[in-house]
Amino acid sequence: MISEKFKKTILNELNLYDFDIQDDTTADQVPGWDSLNHINVILAVEKAFDVHFKGIEVLKCKNIGELQKLVNTKLDQK
Amino acid sequence: MIKPCLKKENLEWDRWVENAEKFPDKEAIIHWVAGEEPFRWTFSSILKAAESFAVGLKKNGVERGDVCAIIIRHNKYFYPIYLGISSIGAIPSVLAYPNPRLHPEKFTQGLEGMSNRSGLDWILTEKVIAEVIEPIILKEKSTIRGMFFPLEWGKNLKFEGKDLENIEQIRANIKDIDPVLLQHSSGTTGLQKPVLLSHKAVLDHVTNYGNAIKLNSEDRIISWLPLYHDMGLIAAFHLPLTFGIPVVQIDTFEWVMIPSLLLEAISKEKGTLTWLPNFAYNILAGKVHDDELEGISLDSMRMFINCSEPVRDKSHKMFYKRFKEYGVKPESLSACYAMAETTFAVTQTPTDKEAKVLYVQKQSIAKGVIELNGDDENSRTCVSSGKAIDGCEVRIVDEKGNDLPENYVGEITISSVSLFDGYRNYPEKTNAVLKDGWYYSGDYGFCLDGEYYIIGRKKDIIIVAGNNVYPEDVEDLVSHVEGVIPGRVVAFGEDDEDLGSEQISVIAETKILDETTQKKLKLEIIKAGMTEDINIKKVYLVPSRWLIKSSAGKPSRKANRERLVVKNETITWS
Repeated sequence: MISEKFKKTILNELNLYDFDIQDDTTADQVPGWDSLNHINVILAVEKAFDVHFKGIEVLKCKNIGELQKLVNTKLDQK
Repeated sequence: MIKPCLKKENLEWDRWVENAEKFPDKEAIIHWVAGEEPFRWTFSSILKAAESFAVGLKKNGVERGDVCAIIIRHNKYFYPIYLGISSIGAIPSVLAYPNPRLHPEKFTQGLEGMSNRSGLDWILTEKVIAEVIEPIILKEKSTIRGMFFPLEWGKNLKFEGKDLENIEQIRANIKDIDPVLLQHSSGTTGLQKPVLLSHKAVLDHVTNYGNAIKLNSEDRIISWLPLYHDMGLIAAFHLPLTFGIPVVQIDTFEWVMIPSLLLEAISKEKGTLTWLPNFAYNILAGKVHDDELEGISLDSMRMFINCSEPVRDKSHKMFYKRFKEYGVKPESLSACYAMAETTFAVTQTPTDKEAKVLYVQKQSIAKGVIELNGDDENSRTCVSSGKAIDGCEVRIVDEKGNDLPENYVGEITISSVSLFDGYRNYPEKTNAVLKDGWYYSGDYGFCLDGEYYIIGRKKDIIIVAGNNVYPEDVEDLVSHVEGVIPGRVVAFGEDDEDLGSEQISVIAETKILDETTQKKLKLEIIKAGMTEDINIKKVYLVPSRWLIKSSAGKPSRKANRERLVVKNETITWS
């Protein structure tokens, strides 16, 4: 499930006031999350949660819920 | 194997066959997929596969001169399909696969517009988007005669001697002035201008450009560039295939997700050449983690060639600082000025020297005469794009088309042995840019010591990561958003220092005063852009009658941009 902190991090990075993000929301459905800004969103999430992703791990995420799960896994491993 | 033409026209296909005979086992295209072992086509295996596809195309009714649009994602069979089309005298045209954020209706509208303009005959695509494309084909006046899914043909393709003879006969009649490919000048889908190029134009160009970069048999090209863009198609596809040079093809989508893929490929494949738009230098230098660079060596690289958007000295410096310890040499930082209309390159910096940098007095640029200055805040840093390559002539001209001497700022015009003949089925656009054999680029620049510096654009085109976006398209989209006063919108490019490129900003007039509703309106404006795969980064809402009009009575992009971005004017809501 998408946490408030995770959602806020993404929205802040994309300068969005509000946008509904669910587990099955994909990056292309989020205004501003295009290929050019993708890396900034990922870096913002890494910074907010003090975790580090490998590129291939992010590539395998099919939706934002899976990215949240990846964050959770990294936090559990700490 | 299909033989070269007996009467020895100099065709692209002949060069591919020669390479397959000279270097049958040499790697031609290394198809790179993140996390997998790359697939390696040799010069002989790719031709053999191309022949099979050629037979399949013939059986499906594709004839010499037919335009075949290829809309296929990163796939190892993409390359032999492209070559197969060419081998039967048909004309391949690579189109972008629809981005998921692009509304299907907008995609079909764009494709239909492009089809009517470019005269597409066939669509070669993937089954998964067939439903979206089919309605265009069924339309009464559609130029498109059919759609195939060549990736599905696989083992069903049988190579027969008779088919081969037929293809050889077709090819015997192809002349070097016949078209070999159709590429589109960068722009919003549907409004892209089609550029048809002959075998001769492409072969002359890759020969001249190959000389400019001293292409040699030890070179290995690494590229993540999309093949629907001239930089990817000519520099990283036709050039290596013509000269028997291996090229690593990385998926553009995967590179954006994992920028370090390029560095990994350079390191593992001992790459020597790559072409990159300016923003890629910033991404690589600023957004790649140290641990992704473990074991990476970039010392095999001869040239990183910065092209397709304005070259920034800061980006080169950032890149060098970050990667010098991995083997990047200052002299490998190179630049090129190119466009689809001249096949690709017009100028190129020397192979053994870092691109020259000038510090020019800002005031002198405004006056149109270049005066050099020290590196201070009154200077603008200009990076050289190099000298004209062989076969190309460049003139800097004033508004009346008169030649300007060195140091004077004017429009860049080009004459080239590889210049296009005009946009296909687009005489009005052709007449606007092609005069007496000279192409008027719409770019402003100057020449100093024989080297060309590109410093601006005549039109308000926004270049986002190497892609041209026309502000009119953005303004039209935003004008239709409820809450925006129709016609009271301007769009422009705003510098993104971090990215090393421009991003799209919009100023829109509205009568909405409530802050929460204004925030919702901003979101709706961004969402409107998304439907056409246009990412609006910033939205400035302003009250009615805020926008300054130009003398033509339309809101002025330049003046309004200056009020908000340069002078940082406060917006007052009454």
